[in-house]
Amino acid sequence: MAGGMGGAELGPSSSGKKKPLDTTINLVPFIDLMAVTISFLIMTAVWTQIGRLQVSSSGGPSDNPDDNDKTIPLTLLITDKELKLTAGTSTFDPIPVIRDAKGRIDLAKLQMRIKEVRTNLPEQAAITLQPEDNVRYEDLVRIIDECIGSGLPNVSVAAAIG
Amino acid sequence: MAIQVPGKRFGKRLRRSRVFGKGKLNAKRVMTADLLITPMVDMFVIIVLFLIANFSATGDVLNITKDIRLPEAVNVKDIELVPVVMISNEQVLVSGTVIGRVEDLSREDYLNIPALEEKLRDMKKQYEDLHALANEESGKFKGDVNIQGDKDIQYKILKRVMYSCMTAGYNNINFATQTASAPKTGEQQASVRGL
Repeated sequence: MAGGMGGAELGPSSSGKKKPLDTTINLVPFIDLMAVTISFLIMTAVWTQIGRLQVSSSGGPSDNPDDNDKTIPLTLLITDKELKLTAGTSTFDPIPVIRDAKGRIDLAKLQMRIKEVRTNLPEQAAITLQPEDNVRYEDLVRIIDECIGSGLPNVSVAAAIG
Repeated sequence: MAIQVPGKRFGKRLRRSRVFGKGKLNAKRVMTADLLITPMVDMFVIIVLFLIANFSATGDVLNITKDIRLPEAVNVKDIELVPVVMISNEQVLVSGTVIGRVEDLSREDYLNIPALEEKLRDMKKQYEDLHALANEESGKFKGDVNIQGDKDIQYKILKRVMYSCMTAGYNNINFATQTASAPKTGEQQASVRGL
């Protein structure tokens, strides 16, 4: 590169002397800059990508009174055996908790139920989760994540009653 | 006998040898070698581009410890620099201060954790005093708090921590999660397979 790019001479100039028309770029400062930049970036790099899921602690009534006829109170009771979705006064069949090899809950059925609700009530954006005391934090986070992903961004968490 | 330069002198047979004759005695070894810089510069450029693409200006907001394994989530927002309540399988901490042991807190039937509440109230007061001097709207207390919990903790503990945060004035509760890549849908998987 630096040393190897010798000056190619493109014939004699008008004065008769051979004048090299290309120059060799000194790569040493460039490599120094690269080395310093790489060191700095490696030292300041963040290798674990951390995010946040925003929740509120209870599902209060909607601020906008016009939304009351377009939305209904949507509640999901979470136990270690089943998930029970309640939309207004109607209750869906409980979804049994099925775990994969890694111990994670299969949420495909819950996703379908939420989509059903969203099809009937497109303005619906809030859901209240009621986990029991023995529910694992990972399961709760996965369910919150699923709700947000299914179009219910206002997730509230409240303690299960009874 | 003629005077000779000191050093190794091989016999006639060895002098004809490739190894001793040319390599050691007669041939001049080139002591400089050209390094190929092109691949090295290419590699440097790729590394710099990769590191710049992954560069995070906010840095490490959370202190990641081996005691706390964060759950994974896909639909997350960027984390912000706010007070952090850490819940491991053994203890509850706020900004490095131990609040209590999880085992002891699990046995109690109260809904709040008084020590946590007190600590958070102190932090809130400290924040408000500090920003009252600046007298600006952007520095207004928003009540954001990050909960950095281990994925195996039970909701029983989390409930108490959340209630304490709410009572202390921290109403915007955020669960810190590890960002996972979005699972591929059936259509995407088919397109990857070339179907």
